[in-house]
Amino acid sequence: MSITKETVKAHLKDPAILCCRRPKGTVIGPADLEDPTLFDDMVDAGLLTLSNDGLTIEQVLGTTLAGDCEALTPITPGNLNSVNEVAQKAEEAKAPEENLALKVPETVKASVGGNGMIHLEVDKLEGLSLDIPAGIAFNGAPVSQAEPAAEAAGEKKVIRKLLKQHIKITDTEIGTETSIKDGKVTIDGSIVEKAVLEDPLCKSLTLDVIKPDNHHIYTETIMDVCPIATKVEGEHLGEGVTKVADGVVFMLTGVDEDGVQIHEFGSSEGYLDEKMYFGHPGCADEGDIIIRCHAVIERLKGMSRSGPFAAHKCQDYIIQALRDALKDYDGEVVREEECEDVRRKGSPRVVLVKEIMGQGAMHDNIICPTEPCGVAGGQKNVDCGNVPIILTPNQVRDGSIHALTCIGPATKEMTRHYIREPLVEGLAADEELDLVGVVFIGSPQVNDEKLWVSERLGTLLESMDIDGCIITTEGFGNNHIDFIEHIGQAGKRGIPVVGVSFCAYQGQLVVGNKYAAAMVEENMDKGGFENDVAGCSCITPEVAARAIQMLKNRMAGVDIAPAEKKWNNDVINANNKLLGLPETVLLDNGTMH
Amino acid sequence: MKLTTKEGMQSEIFVPVTPKPVFTELKKPLSECKVAFITAGGIHKKSQKPFNTSGDFSYRTIEFDTPSSELMVTHGGFDNSDINKDVNAMFPIDRLHELLKEGFIGSLPKETYTFMGGGGNVEKFRNETGPEIARKLKEQGVDVVLCTGGCGTCHRSATIVTRCCEEAGMSCCVIAALPPIARQQGAPRITAPHVPIGSNAGEPNNIPQQTAIVKESLEWVRDCPSFNATKVLPYEYRHNV
Repeated sequence: MSITKETVKAHLKDPAILCCRRPKGTVIGPADLEDPTLFDDMVDAGLLTLSNDGLTIEQVLGTTLAGDCEALTPITPGNLNSVNEVAQKAEEAKAPEENLALKVPETVKASVGGNGMIHLEVDKLEGLSLDIPAGIAFNGAPVSQAEPAAEAAGEKKVIRKLLKQHIKITDTEIGTETSIKDGKVTIDGSIVEKAVLEDPLCKSLTLDVIKPDNHHIYTETIMDVCPIATKVEGEHLGEGVTKVADGVVFMLTGVDEDGVQIHEFGSSEGYLDEKMYFGHPGCADEGDIIIRCHAVIERLKGMSRSGPFAAHKCQDYIIQALRDALKDYDGEVVREEECEDVRRKGSPRVVLVKEIMGQGAMHDNIICPTEPCGVAGGQKNVDCGNVPIILTPNQVRDGSIHALTCIGPATKEMTRHYIREPLVEGLAADEELDLVGVVFIGSPQVNDEKLWVSERLGTLLESMDIDGCIITTEGFGNNHIDFIEHIGQAGKRGIPVVGVSFCAYQGQLVVGNKYAAAMVEENMDKGGFENDVAGCSCITPEVAARAIQMLKNRMAGVDIAPAEKKWNNDVINANNKLLGLPETVLLDNGTMH
Repeated sequence: MKLTTKEGMQSEIFVPVTPKPVFTELKKPLSECKVAFITAGGIHKKSQKPFNTSGDFSYRTIEFDTPSSELMVTHGGFDNSDINKDVNAMFPIDRLHELLKEGFIGSLPKETYTFMGGGGNVEKFRNETGPEIARKLKEQGVDVVLCTGGCGTCHRSATIVTRCCEEAGMSCCVIAALPPIARQQGAPRITAPHVPIGSNAGEPNNIPQQTAIVKESLEWVRDCPSFNATKVLPYEYRHNV
């Protein structure tokens, strides 16, 4: 027996393929047929070619082979003495209804029975489909609309406030003193001599300024993009007042003494305008002045934890000098962001879980430094055992994460990403939700440790008594093992969960579980590959909007259709369209195969 | 709670449902390991009852000192001609004896177990055949288990039994002609030579190729960093049926 009777029932409309060679006269039963769930892999492996005139399982069961028939070939009418008549009607009647479901206008807000109708479908009546007004129940009593229980919805209680003042910077140069005056940043060029002493593994540092009209300039691999931000009021990150320089950012690049790029999975050296996805959350914006800090670190230290860290540490010394200048500078405030940590009692409690790299070398992050986006005073998640650490939305928005990651340029989340993370912003602003926190969990190197930290996350989620969560990961590959495990930890506790990752073609998931049924793709590369454009395939506002909507659907019990078997950008754009979001346009970076 | 919902959304990432990870790290050198080889490719002794080609979850016991000339194949899922020429193309018993002599591996168990995985009953393999084979290998002190599939569903059955062995504390690798299936079904480790089904362990009578596939698969058991990782082996063979 190749497939069971139960499997047959679930796959009547799938192609009929013999699992083994069968002689003439064989009466075809389940035992003779290959398992349809394996077809995709078999087609991929070149083992099976499906045929347009191939028959379905329901068309061949009980029929007789007219001649010998080979394994793994589609059964066609020519192979059989007769073909089962299959009632086509049922299928035809059903098809338009499925299409209709996809075209529900945006104005329809579905709740259970939200269109006021009870929908009945009885297979044995050959696909008869009925719509009955929901007000009339079978016993004549009115049925109430299945509206989700509306408690005293979302009374807002502010826990703490953070004011982010964006200070206008219009010019930057390397000079002889460090100051900010009249919108102009000046950095003492000799500061690099002191900065390099911060870590013996850093052999030299150079600074230069790249103006917005000069983005077509060669750069070594982009290790990080880091804002200049500083506390002016408040004891800790997440409260008080923070000043953020607007219009200028630091970009850290690096090589070792042999000129080897400090990178792991692909590097982004080349012309800056081709190697950075300007405007994405982790990147510089088009109009930004970029202060490039280039570090040369000790030979062969690029792939050990200490080497890349040295570059970040030395750059932080320079940024700190500018932070100190920014504290005293009363320049033009171009924008103020009022960020609040709030409780919305009665609204669904949700949490955002961000899996960050924790495998060592460049796969590390600094959590809760003293200054926004800083290095000093923070702890590395690898040293913390990669256990889940919970921050408030304000703490994240105040630069609590400094990224040391140099994994794939396109899918890593750089320091600037976290201070303006679209999912944190989107969830915190959503008045229908009570965002209780943001959990950061490292992805360890060893399989057992991956499962261990995931267990810890599961316990944390359970004890937080949440109604839903979104789980994201940067990068792809081995971290997908724990990413999927995290989704399972939430799912098996009955917590609705949405996963967000780059997968596309190159990063296809190798593991899965039944809870990973609402997934959002970050890819923006045409070939579906990790390309060498920094920040290309990350969480954008569009990705965040789709993820938040999927989470609401999951929590309200509104279906999300299963994914196609292969990455298809049309699916992503259909979701974008449904939500009124701009199209996801893929970047052609020569990765089409 | 009042939530704005939106009908018609579709999940954007395909998620294969892979069973939970199983991974037993190899903690001694290969030269000290007892190595077993199992196969889902329908190999049995000529004196034994052939497998039922339409599905069979029974297994056969093969003593490792059985001459390869006394082995044969019964499998309906692929062209058997390569195995008929050289049983080592699916079950490289001669290569294992050579590797033992060379000192590359420490020892072979007294006996091993073979089955026919084509169209295999998943539940039976998972709950009966797999655990029984694993127990019998473990009782013989086996450290490492290599396994070949055959056809598509063979790879599934092979992976199920291999997972049982891994769970029992042995370090295992599926030598896969169809690596996507082994991967999705949750094989602990996978090596992937470019070979057709029916010659999963290499071209018939091509001793250097068969030896290299077995050796590098053993090395992958030693070096594989984590569950479900695949190593593509640079050996190619195509047969003309």
